[in-house]
Amino acid sequence: MHISTDVLRRYIDVPTDTPELRALLDDCGLEVKRVDDSSGIANFTLELLANRGDHHCYEGVATELNGRMGTGVRRPELADLATGESPWPLRNDTELCLTYTATLLEKTGDGELPADALRVLEVAGIHSLTAPVDASNIANLEVGQPTHAFDADAIDGTVAIRLSRAGEQAWPLFAEEKVELPEGTLVIADDSKILAIAGVIGCEESKTTESTTRLLLESATFDPVAVRKASRALDIHTDSSARFERGADPTRPLVGAGRVVWLLEQAGWARVGKTGQVGDWRDPQRTISMDTRLASTFLDLEVTTTLAAEILERYGFGFGTSAGHTLNVRVPPHRLWDVEFAADLYEELAKAIGYNETPIALPPVDLGALPAPWELRKRAAEEVLVGNGFYEVFTDGFYGRHVRDQLGLTEGHPLYDHVATTNAIERNYAFLKNNALAQALDCVQANAFMRNDQVRAYEWTRTFHPTTDARKAASGPHGQGHGPCFERRILWGITAGTDRPANWAGSQRPADVHFVKGVIAELGVELGTRFELGPIGASEPLVDLLHPGRRAAIVLDGERVGVMGEVHPNLVRSWKLKKQRPVYFEIEADRLLFTSAAHHGFDEPPDWQPIVRSLAFALPVKFEAGKVVDTLVQAAPDWLLDVRITDLFVPDDEDVRAVTYSLVFANDPADKRSSDSVNEVCEALVAEVHRRFDGVRQR
Amino acid sequence: MSRPDVEALVAAFHADLGAASDLAALDAVKRAHAGKKSPLKLALRELRNVPPEERPTVAKAINDAQAKIEADIAEAAAVLEARAIEAQIDREWEDLSLPGLAPARGARHPLTDVEWRSMGVLRRLGFEVVDGPEVDHPYYNFDALNIPEHHPARDMQDTFWVDGGWLLRSHTTTVQARILEERDSLPIKIACMGRVYRNEAVDASHLAMFHQFEGLWIDKGLTFAHLKGVLAYIAKEIYGDRPVRFKPKFYPYTEPSVGVDIQCARCEGTGVRDDEGCETCHSAGWVTILGSGMVHPKVFLEFGYDPDEISGIAFGLGTTRMAGVSTGVSKIKSLYETDLRVHQALHRGGL
Repeated sequence: MHISTDVLRRYIDVPTDTPELRALLDDCGLEVKRVDDSSGIANFTLELLANRGDHHCYEGVATELNGRMGTGVRRPELADLATGESPWPLRNDTELCLTYTATLLEKTGDGELPADALRVLEVAGIHSLTAPVDASNIANLEVGQPTHAFDADAIDGTVAIRLSRAGEQAWPLFAEEKVELPEGTLVIADDSKILAIAGVIGCEESKTTESTTRLLLESATFDPVAVRKASRALDIHTDSSARFERGADPTRPLVGAGRVVWLLEQAGWARVGKTGQVGDWRDPQRTISMDTRLASTFLDLEVTTTLAAEILERYGFGFGTSAGHTLNVRVPPHRLWDVEFAADLYEELAKAIGYNETPIALPPVDLGALPAPWELRKRAAEEVLVGNGFYEVFTDGFYGRHVRDQLGLTEGHPLYDHVATTNAIERNYAFLKNNALAQALDCVQANAFMRNDQVRAYEWTRTFHPTTDARKAASGPHGQGHGPCFERRILWGITAGTDRPANWAGSQRPADVHFVKGVIAELGVELGTRFELGPIGASEPLVDLLHPGRRAAIVLDGERVGVMGEVHPNLVRSWKLKKQRPVYFEIEADRLLFTSAAHHGFDEPPDWQPIVRSLAFALPVKFEAGKVVDTLVQAAPDWLLDVRITDLFVPDDEDVRAVTYSLVFANDPADKRSSDSVNEVCEALVAEVHRRFDGVRQR
Repeated sequence: MSRPDVEALVAAFHADLGAASDLAALDAVKRAHAGKKSPLKLALRELRNVPPEERPTVAKAINDAQAKIEADIAEAAAVLEARAIEAQIDREWEDLSLPGLAPARGARHPLTDVEWRSMGVLRRLGFEVVDGPEVDHPYYNFDALNIPEHHPARDMQDTFWVDGGWLLRSHTTTVQARILEERDSLPIKIACMGRVYRNEAVDASHLAMFHQFEGLWIDKGLTFAHLKGVLAYIAKEIYGDRPVRFKPKFYPYTEPSVGVDIQCARCEGTGVRDDEGCETCHSAGWVTILGSGMVHPKVFLEFGYDPDEISGIAFGLGTTRMAGVSTGVSKIKSLYETDLRVHQALHRGGL
């Protein structure tokens, strides 16, 4: 809402200093978003509170400021409208019209609206049209009551407030053609057409023009929900609908009409007869009993009944019979929609005193809490990832339908079905994501486009999976289920490029599955959980999205808790990645964070230098080097401390892989281990490997 | 047996020593003149053949010569070692203008840092972290929080509806609702943080998904003064000793509702920067950092609590905005993109 200080001062005396006035408005809940004083007169753009329809006018702003300042509000001049026999046949067919007034005016001469009234329109940025339209707009800005003027000569018979019928059409102002209304829309109609969508907008066929000489002035109060439904259904949002949706003052229609009539009387119009009125909701009463002792406790300052009454009166509240510490507060009609509890009155007291003036105190606090174990595990996991060059990113919880095709998912695939959004305004919001791989690949693609080949990213996120599992989907407002889906919390990561950027030493290798395996192993070390890699199951949703020769399940305590692998070449093509061979992993976050760390034992390191021997084997293609490690460990005496793979060589001219194993033996002079005895053990180990694996031979 | 010519031996040593230009040559000199088979050692062994009356004199001469040779060798070794180290150092010059080779660290997202820092403040007040679903029933997102159907406040939160009439939560207050429903003992001191969703077109400063961080403290005897005290404490711990102000706001689930502003750090509260209006605070001199309030009586009643018996403090931090402010990123959309150049620049500086 735009207001100007010169207009505001007609209603209330306010500080002349612009910053001081701005601070006052902010302090009273009339938040200033912008100030423009380039013309020498300060104009404010206010962001009004969503529950305060009464603030949408100068009188409302002045009333709010008066609650703080108590200097009094000056009201605009009104025509004194006598109600009685309606000047036009009126009929109210619905309770959704709370009250409706109709006043007939005739043009009796030429004249113009007062310049100071037109200034109100100028400040609001509303162009001046005809006197009836301008007067209606001015009155709304001044006293907060929407009104509408019909060309009386365009009305056919009785004016009825009713609900629209099936298939009924209306022609809203400014629309190019008639539109069909949803059945049950609150409308104003005559015997042959719809005159207005109640509280929202008038219609073309009864609008006033320059040649209008008789007009019927409507000033009413409508049910907020009815107005809101109509406004949303027709996607027509007006100042009038904004006002009515927030709940209008049932006593205001005569005030609004009185102001319009007064303005039009200045411009050569005259009333004909009395003002007709239908609808019963004219002066509802609501009383709230407030105990000032509780108010004192709440605000931590002494609130006497006298002080409370004085403050609330400034805001327009009245009082019933009060006794002792109890004040029976009568809610003014313009506050019926937002004042219901004693707490609402406490707010008024606090505003009047000033939110910055009431006492401030920290409640008694016990010793603070430490981070929960899962929070510490999360930090520890992040340290591993960050230490290995990963950056944390955030991706959306949804993506477009195209992702299904991009992933190559067909019906029957475990990731084919998604939970869909039903009203997304952008097509990229169509599906809640049921996997994070697509967005991980988007990350690689986006970075590749920017010629950033080094990608290492991770995210803690959720995937959403449709479910018909009654336990998981326990619905209903008080259930703890997840409705149409269950949510999986995961940690995912992706790498592409090399383990370090191109450098002058040439010391790079691909950030491949071995790199990621190392990262996962480090996660396990840091979290005290030993992850192992195992065969990936056929039912794993991501199985066919990963390279068949470079993928594995991540296993914890014999149970699958995640997957890792190089992205399938099909997807690499689908994402138009030319050089990158991304490697993806994901781990169930709950298993990662809520698994207790295992306490492995501690063996004192030997005091003597270990004995190290190397064994090299030629392994057939696709024969796993780890099988030899397992055999060596199983067959060796218990003084074998460690087996490490220290070299891998693929000869050009042989169909084998040459793998070097470094065996570390404990040395203990007490056992008199000689070089010969260690060599004998190694020979036995080689023999065992040869015995177990036909195609394996020592090099 | 004639007496050994010690002087000649020493002279021969000095001749060889003078020719030794490196440690290897010196070692050869040492072996030749001070080793087990050196002439002086042989002369010592032959002392028995020297007439007894001359033996002490000869022995002393040999020993003196030996000591002299060893001292000279040590001195020469020190000189040659120093020269060798010097040569090694010269050889081993490294071009330290070349970039380092240690693996570079990555970084957490700035938002995660903001959440951790904020939670650190709340932990001192005894808050614990709780979590809740992102897909939730509208009851928890709206109705239970005093936002009935067709309430204008629902317009403030353009909602993503999903299959089955559920929704993507538009605020983390859903978690508060669930906690109020679940817990039956006081006090409740919880913080929830996470993703929330708004059905909006994305631009530089509007996102369809962003983060919120909320706190809820329910107990007997909490007052408006306590609300302000907690808010001021949080503001001070996160933003330091900057002036704070409280202002009326509207949130359907709190009454009274309070906005918290801190003085704008860019313009020091003047609203002016470089002779123009401060962009950061829109010339207000203040920046809103918190939305808060006393838990609305209707919310208590909804979950069977008596609002005359207990009261509550609720507040929310705009952590996405805080991350933007702390990193100097004005277009927060870039914080939600996976362009790692942004994250690298934020973490390491430069591009």
